[in-house]
Amino acid sequence: MKLPFPPWHRFNFKLPGRRVRIVALLLLLGLSGYILYLDVTIRKAFEGRKFALPARVYGRALEVYPGLKLTREQFAGELRLIGYHESQHPDQSVTYKNTRYGIEFNTRDFVFADGQQPAQNLLIEFDDGVVSLLQERGSDDVDLPLLRMEPPLIGGIYPGHNEDRELVKIDQVPRQLIDALIVTEDRKFYSHWGIDPRGIARALYKTVTGQRIEGGSTLTQQLVKNFFLTSERTLSRKATEALMALLLEMHYGKDEILETYLNEIFLGQDASRAIHGFGLASYFYFDRPLDRLNPQQIATLIGMVKGPSMYDPRKHPERSLKRRNVVLQVMESQKIITHSQFIAFRQKPLGVVQRVPAGTSPYPAFLKFVHRQLEYDYREEDLRSEGLRIFTTLDPFVQQQAEKTLASRLARIEKARQFDANSLEGAVVVSSTQTGEIQAMVGGRDARYAGFNRAIDARRPIGSLVKSLVYLTALEEPQRYTLITPLDDSELLWQQPGAADWEPQNYDHQFHDQVQLRTALAHSYNVSSSRLGIELGVERILDKLPLYGIDQQPPPFASSMLGAFGLTPVEVTQLYQTFADGGFRTPLRGIRTVVTADGKPLQRYPLNVEPVAEPAPIYLLTAALQGVVREGTARALINWLPAEMNVAGKTGTTDDLRDSWFAGYTGDRVAVVWVGRDDNKPIGLTGSSGALTIWGEMMKNIQPAPLEPVMPEEIEMVNVGPVSGLRYDEGCEAGVLLPFIKGSAPAVISPCAASSEDEAASKLETSPKNKQDTGMIKWLQRLFD
Amino acid sequence: MAPEVIRLKNRYCCLFVLVILLSGCAGLQIQAPSDTQQVGEGAVFEAVPKSAMTDNRAVIALLDRAQFDNMSGQREAAGASLERALRIEPRNPWLWLELAQLRLDQGQYAQAITLARKSNSFAGRQPRVQAGNWRVIGQARAAQGNSVGAEHAFRLAAEFAQKAKEDSLFNF
Repeated sequence: MKLPFPPWHRFNFKLPGRRVRIVALLLLLGLSGYILYLDVTIRKAFEGRKFALPARVYGRALEVYPGLKLTREQFAGELRLIGYHESQHPDQSVTYKNTRYGIEFNTRDFVFADGQQPAQNLLIEFDDGVVSLLQERGSDDVDLPLLRMEPPLIGGIYPGHNEDRELVKIDQVPRQLIDALIVTEDRKFYSHWGIDPRGIARALYKTVTGQRIEGGSTLTQQLVKNFFLTSERTLSRKATEALMALLLEMHYGKDEILETYLNEIFLGQDASRAIHGFGLASYFYFDRPLDRLNPQQIATLIGMVKGPSMYDPRKHPERSLKRRNVVLQVMESQKIITHSQFIAFRQKPLGVVQRVPAGTSPYPAFLKFVHRQLEYDYREEDLRSEGLRIFTTLDPFVQQQAEKTLASRLARIEKARQFDANSLEGAVVVSSTQTGEIQAMVGGRDARYAGFNRAIDARRPIGSLVKSLVYLTALEEPQRYTLITPLDDSELLWQQPGAADWEPQNYDHQFHDQVQLRTALAHSYNVSSSRLGIELGVERILDKLPLYGIDQQPPPFASSMLGAFGLTPVEVTQLYQTFADGGFRTPLRGIRTVVTADGKPLQRYPLNVEPVAEPAPIYLLTAALQGVVREGTARALINWLPAEMNVAGKTGTTDDLRDSWFAGYTGDRVAVVWVGRDDNKPIGLTGSSGALTIWGEMMKNIQPAPLEPVMPEEIEMVNVGPVSGLRYDEGCEAGVLLPFIKGSAPAVISPCAASSEDEAASKLETSPKNKQDTGMIKWLQRLFD
Repeated sequence: MAPEVIRLKNRYCCLFVLVILLSGCAGLQIQAPSDTQQVGEGAVFEAVPKSAMTDNRAVIALLDRAQFDNMSGQREAAGASLERALRIEPRNPWLWLELAQLRLDQGQYAQAITLARKSNSFAGRQPRVQAGNWRVIGQARAAQGNSVGAEHAFRLAAEFAQKAKEDSLFNF
């Protein structure tokens, strides 16, 4: 905010007679108007600023219960993330202590959306990576069935210039801090009217005599100055400030002004985030609440008031230490501390906690996703000032695995392939299969950098990932397509008005004649898949995208059947979430609840489910996608995840190897990884050699649940020839058990093949279905001729 | 083991079932006791004890909380507790049924139907939970004015309830 110049700024007082009186009157009126204006401005600033509180964004609250898969290290990591300190005196809140089999810890009060959870003294024990005991300690220890941990704070949405603060009431501030502040900055605070004439005179004298420009500001003046954030130091500026300080003092009491000062004063910068007030500074520099600061830490903070960046204890520790000791000396001279205390405290180190600048959030990609959702429902100014508490779905453990794996794998690939360092980029999204909650989102290999968020903003061709939708559409017609229906993988030339002739190639540059549908998907054959898509109807398939929550309209060209259109990683996650969840689409969510500053629930984002596809064809698709991992293009996953995990997934590779995708799911998680370059140059990686390796390593560390879809009633298992597609007796060992929608399996039972060669040599013609398919092929040929 | 002892044991089993059912009516169930009611074609939907829904005590605690909230009219809070339970056991069909029932009580009929269908997709061969799901679907369809669909659902509910009854007799 800019303040106008005062009206006496350029006034000449040497005017004669009556005109003087008129002008004086006008001047008086003008001055009154100006004062009134200042009064309104400063009151507005004071009232407004007093309550401007950022929205606080929390990650998911860890639910702990006996039987949960959790190691001691993971739990200790969670405690540290929430801000717990290891302490041998477990009587303080937010501390923990390692015991023989577990951890004893003290929680603090926390207000959840559904009420307050009081502080507790608890014991947790672990056995073989599982929580074996959870007890509330007391005169009688009580076993607890469940404990909801305080959620970790993962960021904020800040007012103004990303101002962050931890609001404190004046009675929460240690007396020592207030006393030290007053003796250092403004000894007459409780007696002056907002300005200290002698201080001003002294400052003026020193300024005029050219010694140096000196403060001489009262706390009230400093507060006014802080409101309008400017470094301008002119006399008129000072005069305006003084006037405003006087006005403030007329309207508000000393304690009210002091409390606002304590919350408002600028005390440092954390990347893009400005640290305001002692409450937050206490956490930012010493990682503890104000009431647990010791006197030398108080002195450090008070010393910073004079110049937060000049006396920054992290950037300029020596200068800061010197300044702290000056403050300590003042405290001693004013009997706030004793002489012996002064001697002792002076010797202590600064004791500042080292930390990486986190800015507004250590998880900028996820925060951006959440912010975008909130923008639909709230006004931006409310988000930035109403102190809303936003409970989200982010799981810091999963997030950490995703970030770590993406960064390390990309670096490894670059090294192994002798690419330029940092030329590859990537994005990762991990969500819960059944609830659609986003557990991790990485928008680039430098996960801390709040720049381009590739997870939600990079729309890149999805390549073969689209095939899942093509094959699902086929499997939805059980009378025409089953997992073993032969597809034609011979040469194809597609001509369509308005589009160039199109001749899809397989990745191995070969044609495979007749292949079973599941095999064509497993090996991601482009020719047979294109033919299948054309046969089913390109538009029909693409028109399904909105059902899956994707508002993109790819061009109705046959090349779209090979994914020549772009989607973002989060859109792909939504697509595969529906496949993973039996055909039920659950809109991906980053937010669970929004609560007001005083703890009232404002809005819940409940779990919503839409039926999109029938469970039976989805079951077949999942079986086929498990085949992709078991014997197809995603075989390499076995390097990270055991076969029993039964992962379903699909690789995606685009023209000239520009994009490398992997989308897959386990019993509890859906994850999508994209790798490519921001300038869209080829990267020489397939889905399998790039994204898959990240997916595999990340999932291995997350330890997902195996995929065991419940078989729908419409499905039966039938023993069929893996190549011939002939139906065999249940006992025939040459066959494989595959799921079929009832009534769609070959009806005729053939004699069991003696060996796999015999089985492979058996002709496909016996099944009545094949005749129909041959007819279709002929029809297609006619189409192409 | 002597046949006499087995018979005696069976008698205790029946008693046990009775006690469980009664305790279900006495407040273990999320739904009010009056929910043990005649539905559709005369099938009786019996209250199911929470211990039959899950063996995870954390989930039972959350079901208790959801029940408490629901009874005191705090349906949003009840939904939040059910979602917490679902995060622990996302493939437990009973929990999806409870959520479907809650949405039905909230008048969100389409959501109730979908959630009941989703519960069915996890139910496998558990006729008791399937009966519950079809009952919710029936009630939701009836509320939507789809009486034919409702009748069909109630018939299925009755069939599954009958099957559940046979299964339980067989098991004891």
